[in-house]
Order: sequence, then C-alpha cells, then structure tokens
Amino acid sequence: MASLVKKVTEKKLSRRNFLKITAASTAGLALTGCGSLLVPTGEKYDTSAVNGQGKWITAGCNYDCGNRCLNKVLMVDGVAVRQKTDDTHPDSPEYPQQRGCVRGRAQRNQVFGADKLKYPMKRKHYTTGGGQKELRGIDEWERISWDEALTIVATELKNAKSKYGNRSILFPYFYPDPAKAIANALHHFGGYVGSWGTGSFGSWALPVMFTTGYEWWTSSVNDRFDFLNSETVVMFGLNPAWSSPGNGFYYYLQVKEAGAKFIHIDPFYNDSAAALGAEWMPIRVGTDTTLLLAIAYVLITEDDPVTNPLIDWDFLKKYTVGFDSTMMPEGADPKNNFKDYVLGTYDGQPKDPKWAFEICGLEPGKIRQLAYEIRKDKKVSMLSGYANGRISDSDALPQAFMAVGSMTGHYGKPGHNCGASPHRININCGPFLYTVGSDEKPMYGAALFGGAKGLSFPINTKINATDLWDAVLDGKANAVENPHGIIGSGPNIMQNFDIHMIFNFMGNALETSIKANKGIEAFRKVDFVVSCASYPSGTAMYSDIILPVTTFWENVGFISELGTRDAIIACSRVVDPLYEAKPCQWIAIELMKKLGMDPNELFPFSDEQGYFNSLKNTKVLEPNGEYVPLVTITAEDIAQWGVKGLPQQGKIGLQELLEKGVYQLDLKKYRYIAYEAFIKDPVANPRMTTSKKIEIHSATYAALVSELGITKKDPLPVYVPGAEGYEASFSDWKSKVKGEYPYQMFSIHYMGRAHTNFANNTWLQEAWEAPVYMSSADAQKESIKDGDTVLIQTKYGKILRRANVTERLMPGVMAIAHGSWMDLDKQTGIDKGGNENILCGTPVSGQGLSAYNSMLVKVEKWTGESLIPDSKKPKRVLA
Amino acid sequence: MGRLGFYFNQDNCIGCRTCQIACKDRNNLMPGELFRKVQTFETGAYPASGLYHYSGACNHCADAKCVKGCPTGAMYYAADGTVQHDDDKCIGCQYCSWNCPYGAPQFLEEYGIVKKCDSCKELRDGGDNPVCVDACPMRVLEFGDLDKLIEKHVAEKSTNNLSILPNSSITRPSLLIKPRQCAQDKYYFEKKEV
Repeated sequence: MASLVKKVTEKKLSRRNFLKITAASTAGLALTGCGSLLVPTGEKYDTSAVNGQGKWITAGCNYDCGNRCLNKVLMVDGVAVRQKTDDTHPDSPEYPQQRGCVRGRAQRNQVFGADKLKYPMKRKHYTTGGGQKELRGIDEWERISWDEALTIVATELKNAKSKYGNRSILFPYFYPDPAKAIANALHHFGGYVGSWGTGSFGSWALPVMFTTGYEWWTSSVNDRFDFLNSETVVMFGLNPAWSSPGNGFYYYLQVKEAGAKFIHIDPFYNDSAAALGAEWMPIRVGTDTTLLLAIAYVLITEDDPVTNPLIDWDFLKKYTVGFDSTMMPEGADPKNNFKDYVLGTYDGQPKDPKWAFEICGLEPGKIRQLAYEIRKDKKVSMLSGYANGRISDSDALPQAFMAVGSMTGHYGKPGHNCGASPHRININCGPFLYTVGSDEKPMYGAALFGGAKGLSFPINTKINATDLWDAVLDGKANAVENPHGIIGSGPNIMQNFDIHMIFNFMGNALETSIKANKGIEAFRKVDFVVSCASYPSGTAMYSDIILPVTTFWENVGFISELGTRDAIIACSRVVDPLYEAKPCQWIAIELMKKLGMDPNELFPFSDEQGYFNSLKNTKVLEPNGEYVPLVTITAEDIAQWGVKGLPQQGKIGLQELLEKGVYQLDLKKYRYIAYEAFIKDPVANPRMTTSKKIEIHSATYAALVSELGITKKDPLPVYVPGAEGYEASFSDWKSKVKGEYPYQMFSIHYMGRAHTNFANNTWLQEAWEAPVYMSSADAQKESIKDGDTVLIQTKYGKILRRANVTERLMPGVMAIAHGSWMDLDKQTGIDKGGNENILCGTPVSGQGLSAYNSMLVKVEKWTGESLIPDSKKPKRVLA
Repeated sequence: MGRLGFYFNQDNCIGCRTCQIACKDRNNLMPGELFRKVQTFETGAYPASGLYHYSGACNHCADAKCVKGCPTGAMYYAADGTVQHDDDKCIGCQYCSWNCPYGAPQFLEEYGIVKKCDSCKELRDGGDNPVCVDACPMRVLEFGDLDKLIEKHVAEKSTNNLSILPNSSITRPSLLIKPRQCAQDKYYFEKKEV
C-alpha cells in the first residue's frame, strides 16, 4: 500500500487505486463484492445505496466553517464508496434537512487523499536540539516508528523544561477543542506559553459586548422565522452564501422570497448580494465607520420629529447613554457626546457624507439614501460580518454600528435587528436548544471551557497572536497574564521570552497567523518543532517531527458543538484509523508515559467511554424551559458499548440517534427576539454595562481597550484611520498621490475551504481555484488579463496567484482567497502557494486586533513561469 | 407522462458547486471529469455588475444529438425517456461529445470510453432523487416529469433558453430554468477562476 501511494501523485491516481486506498482501513481486505474494480464510475453502488446492502454511517464534519451539517458515508464491504447528506425527514423551510455544503461533501477525497499523513515522520537532518535547523521546510522526510517519534518529542520536552523552563515551550493556539487532549497533557507537564487575540472576530470580539451592551454571538439577532418580518436588510461586509454554509444562506433566501429589500455594503459584489438581488453600495476596505458616522450625520441634520421622523428619540432616551449632552453617563464630559462629535461641533470636522465619501468612496447621495432606508419607522435589519472588524484600529466600528441602530431604534422588536451575524450566528439566533454533554474527563481550564473537573493552568502567559513570532525571534513581546483565549484583559506588558520549542496540535499556526515569513524564521530558530497533524500543511512541513493524527472519520465519534441551534449531529467512526494514524487521546497518553507521568490522572477511561458520557449527558430544551436528557439508554446499549453507565430515559434511543445521526427540534416552538426583555423592561433586565443601558459613550470600553496599552481608545466611536488602510495607501493624502503599495487587499473566507482545511482537496481545488480577485479597471492599468499569473507584494512578502479579473470589485481594492497552503520557491522566496499571511504583517492595535484585512499591496504581471492550477500540482506525499 | 428532466432555480443558485462535488463523488470521477459542472458568468460593468451560475449536466434532450451521432448504439433512450449509455457498446469515438452542444458526454481516458450524467437512474428506480438534487443546500435543483415541473413553476418566467446556452430548438432539452435576470443579458463573460 505504501508503495502504491508513493508512486502516484493524485493526478495519476486512478479510480482503481482510489478505491484501493479508500479500503485501506481494512488493509489486506480482498475487494470482494465491489463488482469489477474496472467499473469506470460509481453508479454500480446505486443498488447498495438504496436497498440496504451497504451501511450508511454518519461522519464527523467539524471544521471551523460556520455550521455543522449531516454527512453520511456509504460503506460497502469495508470501502467508503460515496457520501450523502440529510434525508432523515422530508425537507421544508420550516423544518429543513441539515444539508452539507461543498466542503463536507468533498471529505471522501480528503480522508482518503494520497497526501494524508500515514506514519510518524522525521526530518532527515534533525538531531537532538535541532540539527540543521535552516533545512526546516525544505528537508527530506524519513518514516520512523511511533516509539522513536514519541521518544524524540519527550526528550525535547524534557530538555526544554530542565534547561529553560516551561515558558520556553510555545503552544501557538487559543485553547482549542481539537487540541484538548494534548493541551491537557502539556499543562500537566507544567504548562506552556499560549496565545490570545481577537482571531476572526476582529473588533466584534468580547470587549465591546462586556462594555457597551451588545448581544454577542448567537444572541445577536432574532430567529430565522422573525426575519421574514423585515422590510429592509442592510448587510455590511457579509457573505453568508460562503461563510454560513449548510442551511445558513437558505434562510436568507426565505427572507428574499418574503419580499425584503437587500442592500449590500462591501467592496465586493459577492454571491450573497447577487442571489438576494441586493442593491450594491460599494465602499473601501475598513471604512465602514466613516459611512456609519455620515449616516448618523444625515439622520441628525434631516430629522424632524413631526415632519420628517428619522430618529427614534424615545429609544435613545430610554435605552442609551451618550447620544447628546443631555444623555451623558455619570461623570462624563458633556461635550464629549456622539451628536457633537458627528456634527464636528468641537473638532471642526463635520462627519458629513462629503467627508465620508472621500474615505469610503460611496457617493453622498447614496449615503443619504441609506440613512432614509434605515429610518425609524421601517422594519430594518442592520447586519454586519466580522470582516470589517479584522481591520487595524477598528475598535470604534461595532460601537458606531450600535449608535446608528440605536438612533433608529432597531432593537428588540419583530422585524428589527442590529448586530453582527456572520458564520454560525447567521440569521437564526437564540439560545441553543441543547447542551452538549461533558465527557467527564478532567480538564485544565474547565470552568472556562465546560469540562467536568477543572484544573488551573500552571502558566497563564499569552502572547498576542500577531506578535507570536516576534516573541520567538526578538526574545520579547507584549503578553497578557490571563486564562482566556480570545480576550485580553489587564495590561498587555512587554515580557521577555526564551522560546526553544514550538508544539503544534492540529492547528495551522504558521499559515493562519499574521507575519508568516517571520513565522518561518521563528520555526527555524527554535531547538525543536513538532506537529500533530492529519495533512501536510505548512506548519507540519516546517517541523522536525510529524505525528499523524486520525481524522473525524477515523475517531470514535462525537456530538458536534457550535452547530445550528436546532439540530444535534452525532457522528460515528466511519473507518478504523488509516495506516499508523492515532487519535488525540492515544498520543497524549503515550507521550505522558514517556514523560514519566501517569496518564490515568487525565485520561481515566477510553474514548468510547468519553463519547458515551457525552451522549448520556447531552440535554435538550423542552418548550417549557426544562432541560431533559437527549438519549434513552438501555442496559443492552451499555453492554454493547462495553462502558460503565446506567440506563436512562430520553427523547430518542441511542441506537436510533446514531443511525440517523441527527436529532432535530421544531424551532417554531422556541422563538427568539434579541434584546426583547431589555426593551420591555430596561430596569428589570439591564444591559451588563456600567450605566445598565446601551453605551454610545462608554468609558468602560475605552478603559478596557486602553488598559492593554496598545492604543488609546476614546469613549465615543471616533474614527481612527488604521495602519495599512486606505489613507495609508497614499504618499500624499491631500493631493491624492498614491504610495508604493497603492492597492488595499482583504482576504475572503473562501467557499472551497474552511480556513486552511481542504486547501489540499483535489475536488475542491478543481471547483474553487483560489485566485486573487482584482477589478477590471485596476487590471487594465496593470496590463493584467483574466487568468494571468500575478506577483503581489507587500512590505512583508511576495506571493504568486492567478488573477480573477472582475467587474464585481471596487477599483483600488483586491481580494485574496483565504487559506492557501504556502509553497515557497527555494531561490526567490516567493510563495507560489498564495498564502495571504505571507503578505500580511500589519501590527497589532486596539483591543489586540489581528488586522488580517488591513493589507496594502502592489501587483504586476508575473513574467516568469505561469502557475498551474492547484488541482494539477503534485500532492505532498511524504510516505 | 411527459419527458423527465431537471429544473434549475438559477436565481437562487449561489454557485457553491455542492451539486458538482456530489456528482463527482457518486460517479467516482477523476480530476478533469465532470458529469455536472457549475460555470460562473459575469455581466455588466462596475458598479452595475451581474453575476450568475449555470449548473449543467446532460439535459436528456428529446432530439439528443449524442444518440443520433452514436455509430454503435451505445447512447440510447431508456424506457423512461432519459438518455442512457451502454458502456459495453462504446468504442470511445467521441462523436457524441462533438455532437452535444452542452458538452455533456465526457471521455474517460483511462477506459477509452465516454460516459455522462445518467440522471442517477438506478437511484431513481429505487425511489431516490439524483444525488445533485438532494445535495443542493439552496434547494435549486429538481428532477421529474417536465410537464409537472412546468405546471409547478408556472408563475416563474422559466425557460430553457439562456444567452450562454445553445438555442433549445436544436436538441429540445428536458430542462427548465428560472433565470436570474442578468442571465438574459446578451453580453457576458465566463469566469474560469472562481
């Protein structure tokens, strides 16, 4: 089998070999019952699919994509021959099937891809303490045994700890679920230095919720049935067609069919806008705040409570503070109110449409139109993505958004919404109708992350995600001391670091963190880099040791967390672990043994028992507000699973749940209007802010951000032009002379991937080619044609991509597909893989923002060899 | 009973290509082989830009040129009226590929024969839909009796003619499309990189 895989790149991989590889789980299996292996296509399995000859198994699909859907795999004689999605009940908009997206449906090509990691691998020139460290990323690979691999990892861990202490070990991830087992083992070993940051949330992260009165995450907006009441939906930087997969955008289509008008505010006329028939109002990257302030200006200057009621004055007075000098919170300077800031009373600069137009690019007439579109007497949903918050110094944005939503009173009523609703939040908010049960294993930081037996982190030091590699290279970086992952609190102070080891587990820190070129340097500096991974991403490739981890399909199963709020997906093992890949817990246990620790202290029972516990403890919400067990468990179930437990009564039998893979509740019985209680009675149901109201002026928000010591924040949503933003693209702003890097670039959460997951999937590469998008006007200026290979450069790095020349982008703005794996040219250092973090190096700002969408670039036609499509590149087959 | 065919609500299609992947998965196709293919087109000029997709497979035409042009009888009409392919009779001459104005029949180099969308006939005979139909997260594909589909979607301005497609009088495709408005623009360009 190994030689088979070795000699083929996927390009040459024949159907016959593909089927052989898909059968690898039962190595040595005679491929009987498949009919002739020479059947060119898969239709021969139709019979098995419909008549019960084959077995459909619910497969895990648990990527950070924005949903959880039902994916099933047809197993015929031990071979995974095909996938399907939810067909457990008839489909309707009210009670829809949980249909999977293009990514989930391509998993068969992923799990059985020729490049899946099969054996523990060692970099050829690695020796204890690193060896020729400069060869990381370009060295050859050697297959080694698990015993050798774990001995090496344990030796390096012990060396790092004894020579430099646990603070020399960098685990460059927020405390993430897939890494639970190994992170726990490392904490037990004395801990590590971790990271914190705002990640994908940008300035829509937790601080703004804590301080200004926002509903956050899946409480942000109303439920999907209520959205049918909206007359106008205004979308800022949203693309749910791509980033709320599964049923996410299907719910939007219902709102369209119900007759709502959509307005799309974004530099890119994307698929969401096109399918909703939205009116497109293009604005430049990172300039949303100026547009919002100009809308406020129009509302303030044109409102007349009698003849032209645009502003909801009752709402402002009753529910907010800080709008004008009569509504200030206690202790605040009355001059520092929102209205006077917008009018420019004290700073001499009215934030009028003309002012905004110069920055955001939307004509003053359109800005005025927009102000009237959202006026108080209409049922309006103001929705935003997080993309516009992944911008340098954008802390004012969510606050400005809330200010405008408050001025027009779009809170707490049917048909009215104001909030961020990307990803799994979507337009289907409200409490989850279930809680995923604990596996009952001891867990570090459990109070924070829902584990059963909480243990305290031995080290709480967390480096901001943007500065991870600086900490390694320069020996100092700003860091906070707290146990949280996605929020900084307290001072972010300069600390000294002496990092000697980078431990990666399933994440892809190198390709998803800003400053990837520095990341490569950092990886090449330390004494040891290990990656636990399923596929050879950049992070794995720049390591010394790769430990192959099983995929969701090979693991015992789990209940998907963070999915849709009305469907519980419970998956099962599809195939036994392929080749020598091992589950997380096995790796953690074996590593603990090598480190001289007792694994029973953290992993007292099997993965099967853990899943059983989780199933047993999962609860569903009854319409009366009571939580009851989901699963009915019998004595036979317990015997069959070989686990410890007691029979219990629930809503669905264990066997039935696992066969169906899904338990779906009737959402109509659980309705949700965001802010409803607060609007009904603001005294009895206050916001969790200092003033107990929505804070347009928030001293607490300003203090929380300012205390970090990165940026000073005004209590008002004051526009701050960020680093590498539109203004910075000019060498002379006044006379509008462009600088060396004249184009703004942002990265798009891409349909063909979930972050860097699936970037190596041939089916998806063929369908989604991960280009760089540029406007036809800019392309003409640079003599670039559709499909040309182009060189894109920033101060920080260079990449090649093929150009998608389009009429759908605002001139001056470029967009790159997020998540490409790097492929650095050995001579030039240019990334032929097109990873956007090679380009992005924007410094951390505000509340700790990772400004992924603040990039200034220059572009030219590449005169060297043209890129071939990713789908035709040879696969990275290490063994 | 009328002819069997596909309905495609293009107006609601987001071009996600889940149908294409589900088809690829069911048919075990290699890179370069697509029995159902989603293509992306743009119209207009910034900022009056248009965008639409065409999810196309075999249209099981009433005047199927592939059947007509097949010298061995490998392409044939099944009893239900769909166009089917007999692998054993195929000599790989590709006349069908050249004759089909929709580019549906695909030459499989490894086997030296042509194959195409069979509208998941065996699945349908077993009571299921074609996999592309049941895969679509936006529910824009349907398959069935064309007369009934026309009746069901009578309120829509449905058609089997788009600017990007050959005139339906050529092969009389079993196809019904609810077009996105800009798909009727005469001027369009296909996006190869998506």
